[in-house]
Amino acid sequence: MSTDHSVSNPRKDPEKIISIDSEYLTGKRFAYQEEISEIEGIDLQESTPGGDINWLEDITMLEEDGTPAVFDRYSNSFLKIYYEIPEGREDEIARKVLIKHLQSGNSYGTVLKQRYAKFAQPELGPWVKGSKTVGDNYVPPVLEGWEAPEGH
Amino acid sequence: MDAVAGESQITYDARGLVEVDDTVLGVAVVKDGKATIDAAELTTRKINLEIRSLVYEQGIEEVTILNPGGKHSLGVGILTRCKLTFEGSLGYFALGVIDGPEVTVNGRVGWSACENMMSGVVVINGNAGSLTGAAIRGGDLVIKGRVGARTGIDQKGGTIIVTGAAGSNTGFMMQRGRQLLLGDVGPHLGDSMYDGTLYVAGKVKSLGADCVPGEMTDEDLELVTRKMALYDLGSPPELQKFVCGKKLYNYDNLEPSERKLVL
Repeated sequence: MSTDHSVSNPRKDPEKIISIDSEYLTGKRFAYQEEISEIEGIDLQESTPGGDINWLEDITMLEEDGTPAVFDRYSNSFLKIYYEIPEGREDEIARKVLIKHLQSGNSYGTVLKQRYAKFAQPELGPWVKGSKTVGDNYVPPVLEGWEAPEGH
Repeated sequence: MDAVAGESQITYDARGLVEVDDTVLGVAVVKDGKATIDAAELTTRKINLEIRSLVYEQGIEEVTILNPGGKHSLGVGILTRCKLTFEGSLGYFALGVIDGPEVTVNGRVGWSACENMMSGVVVINGNAGSLTGAAIRGGDLVIKGRVGARTGIDQKGGTIIVTGAAGSNTGFMMQRGRQLLLGDVGPHLGDSMYDGTLYVAGKVKSLGADCVPGEMTDEDLELVTRKMALYDLGSPPELQKFVCGKKLYNYDNLEPSERKLVL
């Protein structure tokens, strides 16, 4: 488990987290963040729609808190990568780590989807074929004492 | 068949604009793993429920929608890999918030087609209205025709290709991604863009604030050549490249949380 990188702003009022990463959100660090062999089997073209790598075109290796990281747009957080990145393979590694993260269902966005999705949708979106449906049992909260107006 | 779950909350509509009956009609004809829906007599909600039922619950991967009749908001929120073909024109906000589908529209589309698209491929064999690809975040959006104003407004990723002319304020406030504009472009191209790349083959009426010419690189040419080949658009013509002059905005001054919004 990594150090909690959340910090307060200098004013301390209100407390504000300025570094949100995947480990902070999920409370876990995953094997593919620490071991390159975990992602070697990922086929990027097979994992994306169309005749090329499609949306992964925009995914590149970035840096967060001085560590190489890929941004997971489904949870608005960085996924840090702790091994040495072979030169010239930065973007490829970033894309494979992200796809592995999404296909494994480890993205915090997927966790939120399980809990809060309001419409039926595949749990693992377009990343895994035939994944189970979530959001099919959403019950809207009811305010205690509230009554629907007549006719509704 | 019961409603696709989560669709059962609307029970009353005072204005009479909403389809309140949320049952899936199950009118699609399925043959050899492919489905066809005749949408002529169906409301928008019924069509979308039918599509979702097919691709989410029945495992159908190819769906053809006949007679869409220019209805609005068709094909929205499809979040899985599948192939959709619309045989006819679509109205406003078609194919918004999709993630994964490969879609062909054999017709025209109205305003805001593919807004907030996350991934996938959409090929429109016809003209598109204004705000096409608004806030698109990924995937390929190909318009084999002309587009209105503000194509790719607030674009945060992905590739928009337009074979015909594009209207005013194309690429307005663009933040990432790329547009390949093969026809002429109206006034204020790339106005207030933060980042991203615009390639233009035709004449540009005028550039917007902070949009400046850039230099074509081998990477640019590789991308353009690859995308044009993918969509049978031939070889790349001579292109002008436009990028952000970075005089209006500076990422370094953004709060980390603000910076993430444009990733």
